Amino acid sequence: MKPSSRWTPFILVSPALLIFCFIVLVPLTGTLGLSFARWNGFGSPSFAGIENYHRAFTDSVFLKSFRNVGIYILATLFLEVLVGLILAGILSSRINTTVYRVALFVPVMLPMVVVSVLWRFIYNPDFGLINAIVRKLGFESFAQVWLGDPKTALLSICFVSGWVYSGFYLAIFTAGLQRVPRDIIESAQLDGATDSKVFWKIKVPMIRSVSEVSALLCITGGIQGFDLFYVMTGGGPYYTTEVPTTYMVRSVFRDQEIGFGSSLAVLVTFLVLIIGFVFSRIRKSGETSIEY
Amino acid sequence: MSVYSLFYVTPLFWMIMSAFKSNGEIFQDPLGLPKSIDLSVFPRAFKAAMLDKLMINSIITTASSALIILLCASMAAFAFSRLNFKSSKVLLGILTIGLIVPVQSYFIAQNQLVEFFNLKDTRVALILPYAGMGMALAIWLLKAYLDSMPKEVFEAARVDGCGDIQTYFKIVLPLLRSGIATVAVFSILSAWNEFLLAIIYIQREDLKTIPSGLLTFSQKYVTDYQMLFAALTIITIPMVAVYVIFNRQVVAGLTEGSLK
Repeated sequence: MKPSSRWTPFILVSPALLIFCFIVLVPLTGTLGLSFARWNGFGSPSFAGIENYHRAFTDSVFLKSFRNVGIYILATLFLEVLVGLILAGILSSRINTTVYRVALFVPVMLPMVVVSVLWRFIYNPDFGLINAIVRKLGFESFAQVWLGDPKTALLSICFVSGWVYSGFYLAIFTAGLQRVPRDIIESAQLDGATDSKVFWKIKVPMIRSVSEVSALLCITGGIQGFDLFYVMTGGGPYYTTEVPTTYMVRSVFRDQEIGFGSSLAVLVTFLVLIIGFVFSRIRKSGETSIEY
Repeated sequence: MSVYSLFYVTPLFWMIMSAFKSNGEIFQDPLGLPKSIDLSVFPRAFKAAMLDKLMINSIITTASSALIILLCASMAAFAFSRLNFKSSKVLLGILTIGLIVPVQSYFIAQNQLVEFFNLKDTRVALILPYAGMGMALAIWLLKAYLDSMPKEVFEAARVDGCGDIQTYFKIVLPLLRSGIATVAVFSILSAWNEFLLAIIYIQREDLKTIPSGLLTFSQKYVTDYQMLFAALTIITIPMVAVYVIFNRQVVAGLTEGSLK
């Protein structure tokens, strides 16, 4: 409808836009600009051309941080999204599931820092819950310095991530499953399909778009991972849990390499944009080929 | 299934149990039950971690940023959804950038900006960024709510002589109640739990929020495990209580916020 006066639309949108510009838009372009600068935060920055980018692509720790975050994303696709989907399937065919749903969602809303400090204790080699259980069961040799060993540190963090977020994806998939029409499921059951067949052959294909969104969330969220890594291991041991964001924070706030850190930020941004773009293409092509 | 859900509950149960055990007991028998129930550790941990300060800071920061988001976003959503004006498409397009780029893309220059305006170690240094970062998604969700409503409602108000601003207060805000609840849930939770900016912008102990304050506390009392378990428990219990009461709204708020 027509605004009641010429100015009211602008009065209504300007507070939101001003805050958004000041907080997101200006810093976004500023970071892009800084990525071409040589600057330690004091004095005036000097133009560095593509030097920072050149350095990023040859920086072994930065490249390693991508490998690590790649492993983390792959692992969490299973531990968070797939586990969440299976849990949703199990719970959807049962009644009185409220207690489970409530319990499984609790970790999602706790601050990541609380989760990280708690799990640092759970992984503690001396009194940690995991080693205590392992010893009680008589597998003394399985007791580990979970977060201190380069072989187990990254996977230990992935596991915590699964503990936190599988409940979140359970909630998302449950919302999706509730939209699957009952009559389709009932007619399949009349034809003699088992619960697991109904789930994998009918329900899962029908909530394909929910699965796609979940995978996208898991991947883009994974690239941004920070709290868990920073608090639990700080990137160590030997950079085996260094991820792009922890490395960025280290470059900017400890080594005072603001230009270099900014170039890492720009590269991560591009990666997120590319993944988002590829996903939207996949979804479009998917929509035309499968119809219900 | 009940065995499996133990996996989710055991860590939290172990945390509470360990808060009742002395350091010696924790080391000797990590799985054992506490020898006695001594509640005095909780007030001690509460004081040592300055949890009163942390909680007040978190409440002020979270409430202010959520209020700013709700007010500004609902106003903007109304304009974008219902009013025809020239630059509406362009401005909305600019806002969608905020839906895509993560905080990593801009926090480095944002830090310079915060420094430039002398905002470091002030509450505003967290309130404004939390508000700005949640704004795009909030506008988007609230606009979707308004789009789904019949246009006659708004036109009727116009016929009755309401200007846009009046329509906003009298019609839009009351209609948006459930949308605002959803936006409030994820704005509050994300501000309450935010960590990256909190450790960068606030160094002063008495201004820290719960996540960054807890980290400092855990570094200061590295070996006083009982105390740390107690602090974790004090932070966790009220959140779990609020969640159990509002679990429907919380789950809906978080899932809806991410699906759209």
